[in-house]
Amino acid sequence: MFNQNNIYSSAFTKIKSINYPLLGLIIILFFVGLAALLSISNGEFNSWPLKHSQRFILGLIIFFLVIFFDLRLIFGYAYVIFFLSIISLAVIPFIGIESNGATRWINIAGISLQPSEFVKYTLILALAKYFHSINNDSNFIKTLIIPLIITVVPVFLVITQPDLGTALIILLGGVSLFWISGLNYKYFIVGVFSILCSLPVLWQYLKDYQKDRVLTFFNPERDPLGNGYHIMQSKIALGSGGIFGKGYMEGTQSHLNFLPEMQTDFIFTMLGEEFGFIGTLLILLIYAALIMISIRLALKSRSLFSKYLSLGVCNVFFIYVFVNIGMVTGLLPVVGVPLPFISYGGSSMLAVMFGFGLLMNCYINRNIIIEKTNY
Amino acid sequence: MKKSGNFIFQKYDTENLINRRAALVTIAKAGIFSALIGRLAYLQIAKNSNYKKLSDKNRITHRFLEPERGIIFDLQGRPIAINKQKYEVIIIKEETRDVKRSLVNLKSILPKANIDIEKILKEVNSRKKFIPIGIVDDLTWQEFSKINVNIHKLEGVYPQIGFKRYYTQGESHSHLIGYVSTISKSEEESNPLSKLSTAKAGKIGVEKAKDAILRGKLGNKNIEVNASGREIRELDRVNSVQGNYVQLTIDSELQKFCYERLKGLSGSVSVINVKNGEFYALASSPSYDPNIFSKSISNETWENLLSNKYKPLINKSISNQYPPGSTIKPFVALAALESGVSHRETFFCNGKHQIEDTSLDSGYKTFHCWKKEGHGNVDMTEAIKVSCDVYFYQIARRIGINKIAEVCKRYGLGEKVFKSLYEEKSGVVPNKQWKLENLGTRWMVGETLSAGIGQGYFLTTAAQLSLALAQLINDGNRLNPKLIYDNDVPTVYDERIIADPKYLKIIKNALDAATNAPGGTSYRSRIIGEYKMAGKTGTSQVRAISIKEREEGLIKNKDLPWEKRDHGLFIGYGPTTDPKYAVSVIVEHGGSGSGSAAPIASDIFKYLFDKKLSLKRNEIFNV
Repeated sequence: MFNQNNIYSSAFTKIKSINYPLLGLIIILFFVGLAALLSISNGEFNSWPLKHSQRFILGLIIFFLVIFFDLRLIFGYAYVIFFLSIISLAVIPFIGIESNGATRWINIAGISLQPSEFVKYTLILALAKYFHSINNDSNFIKTLIIPLIITVVPVFLVITQPDLGTALIILLGGVSLFWISGLNYKYFIVGVFSILCSLPVLWQYLKDYQKDRVLTFFNPERDPLGNGYHIMQSKIALGSGGIFGKGYMEGTQSHLNFLPEMQTDFIFTMLGEEFGFIGTLLILLIYAALIMISIRLALKSRSLFSKYLSLGVCNVFFIYVFVNIGMVTGLLPVVGVPLPFISYGGSSMLAVMFGFGLLMNCYINRNIIIEKTNY
Repeated sequence: MKKSGNFIFQKYDTENLINRRAALVTIAKAGIFSALIGRLAYLQIAKNSNYKKLSDKNRITHRFLEPERGIIFDLQGRPIAINKQKYEVIIIKEETRDVKRSLVNLKSILPKANIDIEKILKEVNSRKKFIPIGIVDDLTWQEFSKINVNIHKLEGVYPQIGFKRYYTQGESHSHLIGYVSTISKSEEESNPLSKLSTAKAGKIGVEKAKDAILRGKLGNKNIEVNASGREIRELDRVNSVQGNYVQLTIDSELQKFCYERLKGLSGSVSVINVKNGEFYALASSPSYDPNIFSKSISNETWENLLSNKYKPLINKSISNQYPPGSTIKPFVALAALESGVSHRETFFCNGKHQIEDTSLDSGYKTFHCWKKEGHGNVDMTEAIKVSCDVYFYQIARRIGINKIAEVCKRYGLGEKVFKSLYEEKSGVVPNKQWKLENLGTRWMVGETLSAGIGQGYFLTTAAQLSLALAQLINDGNRLNPKLIYDNDVPTVYDERIIADPKYLKIIKNALDAATNAPGGTSYRSRIIGEYKMAGKTGTSQVRAISIKEREEGLIKNKDLPWEKRDHGLFIGYGPTTDPKYAVSVIVEHGGSGSGSAAPIASDIFKYLFDKKLSLKRNEIFNV
């Protein structure tokens, strides 16, 4: 069937077998982000645009590094990688950097990183390995409780930072993998039902500002100068953009600072104001294409691990896009999630590139068969 | 492998399962993407015009521009009230999310400034949210630049350059010019400037009387602002229009001279041109510095001004009313002449005059002449010259109160001189009807006698007395009393007040004698030289002298406490040959007219004569 030489292909053949349409779309999105940041900085390249470019290049390096690793090595160290990322989350309360009332960052060799961004992918990695290895006859605890614990631990750690948005993405990413790997749909029904029932209890544990955000989401006019302000201004910016937009660097909402956090979470709004519906539609289509390609590539892998990992990465990516755009258009509460490849933010950029590196690795090594291990 | 629905994880036929479940996920993703696109289409296409309006409302804001207040000039064109630049700070509620935080931050930047956060918060909340509210006034340049440096911490706070009123002549003109201060609630409706909380309005004096002319017109501008309300660029503007200037008939140097002459006394001086009714001076003492009102005045200063027994806030030339005393005598004499009394007719003065009064035990009431031993036989000229009270008791009784009142009113007593000054009082010229209407009782004969020497119910102001004398002296031309030049109003009414110049001549001669003939009441204050003055003294009692007191011997004024001493009055004109000026002087509790008021009038006439009668309007053309 397959030649061993194909499996142990050289670095050159690896680069040759990368799916370039996918990489091309990533690069296009990066340039969209670069253009947006250039507009926000009023044409000044040496601020956000420069750093954004540097991070993207660093991201590309990570992307290729991940590709060059042997997939089986990644499989073998999946739990270790996951464990290390959990450690980095767990130490945050002790050595983390506080900013805006939340402690999310740690400083590694002078670079501030947000471990929760990486955990999204390491969790997928760990779950993929776990689900790859379980058998049909596995008992309840082994097959369900352990992966649930694996999922809940990082979610819990991130909630306490506090960072509800990222915790939600980690949770949804993890849950999506339960689904992909064939968890009986009855459990989903039970799960959704029990979450709905426990919402009033969970509400008690939310911080005041988180409660405010949720309340504001349901009624933005509740506090138009406080929590509702961001979402009102975001909608005004998008809406006033119209079909064709106000023109590049001509957005009044963004350039007069009515838009909050426009270089990070609300960057899509700024693009919508300047490029209109045409612009936002185009960006959404690029994301859709990227996701479609990812799914196609994922399903080409022979091993379950590769499929799980690739689909998981793809799902996390999708959730990112959905939550961010849903948030800035007022469909979801403001939870603070960046728009991948476009938003200014180092950890998010590196983590997403790490994720797509894993996906591409799986694709390149799609014919590798990975044995089940004793989890 | 068994096929069963009771699996936890389906681990058979995984290829198909993954494909199936991935397909479901993909469909869900496609659905969500469609929802997002639908949402964007809704916001950006369907609701576009709606949000466009909101976006414009966001970025475009309206600001009013404060006009510069009109300048007030004196007769010679000297600026008396001008505007100076000042540095101030305001706050706009709708442009800050937290007024209190901005104020607290401002306070920490300007620790020395007097910022009452609670008071400003109250003010901010009581006004419309787009109205700028003044926080502090009159900052130094250092403080002003400190705010500009820290502006990012001060959302909704704006440092700006405004105007403050400055009065070049200070105390000497303060009653007349008045001052400006923050527009009060009651003035808001009638004053378009009230849209700007930093705008000021005239509170008293000419500043209030002519506020509508002086205030100017608000300008406005549309500006693009950023989220914290900072101006990014101006879209359009209508400039404010400076208020019109006002030129007074007052000669500021003469006014200053009069004020200086009153220094240490409580009283007033009024100088009028007898030919055209222009007031050249209207001084009141003591006074206050009007420039203190340009800043926020402290409660203590204000309380001190209010409680001072010499009443520095009152314009004594128009707002304080005094019994005219003997200064009324020329007008009573005129009334007698018109009633057919001959000026040659003599009356005997033995120092007192008695009339029947059944309400008293003695059956009669005694009216005393100021001179206890009496003046003997006096005719009209002599009676005015020596100010004989008994003569005037007798002619007053003969002609009756209504005739006296008619003549006094004809000459402008009992009526406001300047219709425009809000603080002016009208005085009282009593007659029978007046008493019935105001006191509800019948007129008594004795009251006619008191009125004949300017006592009793009689009340006049210094400005009224000078105007009345001016119209008497200018051969009976009715004057339009003037303080402010206004081209629409004629200087002299085309109307004569009295018919017979013969009578006027008799009065003038008598007044001349009172000053320039030995024995006249103001002989000591006469002016020797080319030009002379003439006039009538007056001493008005502020208390009734009891019979007992009179029997025990009169207490000299200087031995009485200040509040109980008589007011000293003098009305005079000059030069006697061709009268040009009329002057009235009132010295509150000055003792006697001849001792306190006449010397001041004399000095003022000397000053006027020295100036070679050159007081003439210097018209303002280009402001």
